[in-house]
Amino acid sequence: MKELIKGNEALAEAAIIAGCRHYFGYPITPQNEITAYMAKRMPEVGGVFVQAESEVASINMVFGAAAAGVRVMTTTSSPGFSLMQEGVSYLAAAHLPCVLANIMRGGPGLGNIAGSQGDYFQAVKGGGHGDYRLIVLTPAYVQEMIDFTILAFDLADKYLIPVLILTDGIVGQMVEPAEFPKDYKPNFYDKSWALTGAKGRPKNVVRTLWLDDYGVENNNIKLQQKYARIKAEFVMYEEFMTEDAEVILVAYGTPARICKAITKKLRNEGYKVGTFRLQSAFPFPEYRLMELALEKHVKGFLVVEMSAGQMVEDVRLSVRDYKPVNFYGRMGGVLPEERKIIEYTLDMLKGKVEVN
Amino acid sequence: MATVDIKKFQVNLNPTWCPGCGDYGLLRGLQTALAKLDLDPSEIVIVSGIGCSSNLPHFIKAYGYHSLHGRALPTAQGVKMVNPRLTVIAAGGDGDGYGIGVGHLVHACRRNIDITYIVMDNQIYGLTTGQTSPTSDVGSKTKTSPDGNYEYPLNPILLAISSGATFVARTFSGEPEHMADIIVKAIQHKGFALIDDISPCVTYNKKNTYQWFKERVYKLEDIGHDPYDINQAIQRATEWEDKIPIGIFYINPDKPSYDQLDPVIREGGMFAKPEITEDEKKEILNQFL
Repeated sequence: MKELIKGNEALAEAAIIAGCRHYFGYPITPQNEITAYMAKRMPEVGGVFVQAESEVASINMVFGAAAAGVRVMTTTSSPGFSLMQEGVSYLAAAHLPCVLANIMRGGPGLGNIAGSQGDYFQAVKGGGHGDYRLIVLTPAYVQEMIDFTILAFDLADKYLIPVLILTDGIVGQMVEPAEFPKDYKPNFYDKSWALTGAKGRPKNVVRTLWLDDYGVENNNIKLQQKYARIKAEFVMYEEFMTEDAEVILVAYGTPARICKAITKKLRNEGYKVGTFRLQSAFPFPEYRLMELALEKHVKGFLVVEMSAGQMVEDVRLSVRDYKPVNFYGRMGGVLPEERKIIEYTLDMLKGKVEVN
Repeated sequence: MATVDIKKFQVNLNPTWCPGCGDYGLLRGLQTALAKLDLDPSEIVIVSGIGCSSNLPHFIKAYGYHSLHGRALPTAQGVKMVNPRLTVIAAGGDGDGYGIGVGHLVHACRRNIDITYIVMDNQIYGLTTGQTSPTSDVGSKTKTSPDGNYEYPLNPILLAISSGATFVARTFSGEPEHMADIIVKAIQHKGFALIDDISPCVTYNKKNTYQWFKERVYKLEDIGHDPYDINQAIQRATEWEDKIPIGIFYINPDKPSYDQLDPVIREGGMFAKPEITEDEKKEILNQFL
């Protein structure tokens, strides 16, 4: 049965359903509900909640717990995720599974506490040092906060990789009907690599350092092979009325909901518009976007973000020069305006190559 | 107390704090202290971290820098090293200074750089609406300790003394005149000064209220405490819960401050260089012609 639930709390309960029994967090708005929820809920389910002294402590507690072989999560918002980046790089390098969430707010700097999408580059291109990737899931609905969080734990264990839930503060703060799965059972994954005590077996060592000439390169090759495998096996997106669309709006998170509403509105007026909504930002749905770009009915794409234009770069890389890709965004925690999106869409429908 | 004119440190901006917040007391006490010292706003830099109390630089007329969460002290030290003639005051809350930023506190104390650090200690995270802080009492119920906090708080006074701070005091926002006198002495002190200001959070901390403190605080100077005796200081610093001392715990006048030791900063930093002459100016400008 569906219930009214807040995005942040949905994410927290979903983590518990997925078998997460260790959560470390530090206060930061707009994700405080997750920390408060875990403080109350973890003892009830036999789990451990610790309010760490900083995000640096949170992410390194995650490192320790992940190395010990359990399902573990930390959550934060933009400035806090910046502070975690060193730990994220180490987690990726050490092939450790964990789930992270960045409920994005306006930046850069302290910015504000309004929802934003300015951390796409940090999330998708690697906010820390070295050649690493995260799986990045981008929920836009409270229901997806539940579904993607559960999926995130499975993906993390399957590929031995940190999985990031990347969404904006609006989705985190939003209350809408959603449903928790009733009979989800966490899958079993072999964790014989974990630090569980070496009695009767050779010891396991979790590390990101190799002192011989090719150790680090070999680890990099392993990482790249893993990313190639993930790209071959996994990607998520939603297409809304794209089948005959002449202009396709591309977005994720809250702007994607705006784009879908506009799509419906313009369809009612007879315009052939569609929305392509990213559900995963890494892997990026580059193949499908190229397919759409090659469709005769598609005149071009309008990318809408709550940023200065970050995800748009990946859309341009995907469709290359086959079709025009335009961009409209607002920064610093401001929502893109419906009338502007409509204006640019109509311009593109009329055949204008460059709008905005 | 002789009345002092604090107008020159006031700005036409209402603080964002809740009515009754202890931070108003600190703001008043600090403005009074700066007036008593007869400083000009142009000689003062106030550096803060992030949190309710860290909004302080916006509400006082002086140079200000609203820095990163937990990083008020490194930022303030950066300012002091560039221009040691400035009076540099770092400010923030307990979450900022004793939580995320506590590593910097230890090293600023050890370095004994000539900065006054004021921590508005309300034993809770206020800006994020009420989570446990590093100074929350055991048993405190907060959003992140719904069944009562079972972590033990750190003792900022003991920490500062043991880390090498040379002026360590506690003030109470309910005693602004007493506070102003201590801030004056802290700023006059040559070396790192920590002031732990009891600044009750009237919105989220329902235990450590003004009334709770009023029943417990006493002044160290009233009992003949000798702040030059580290053993007495340490002993008094352990008091909490039944009786809470305010006043100066510890002063070490013998340890030189960092800015007296560093060969460049000692001479006044880069701003101590004599002004360039007209000929030198011409010579420099000629290089661009």
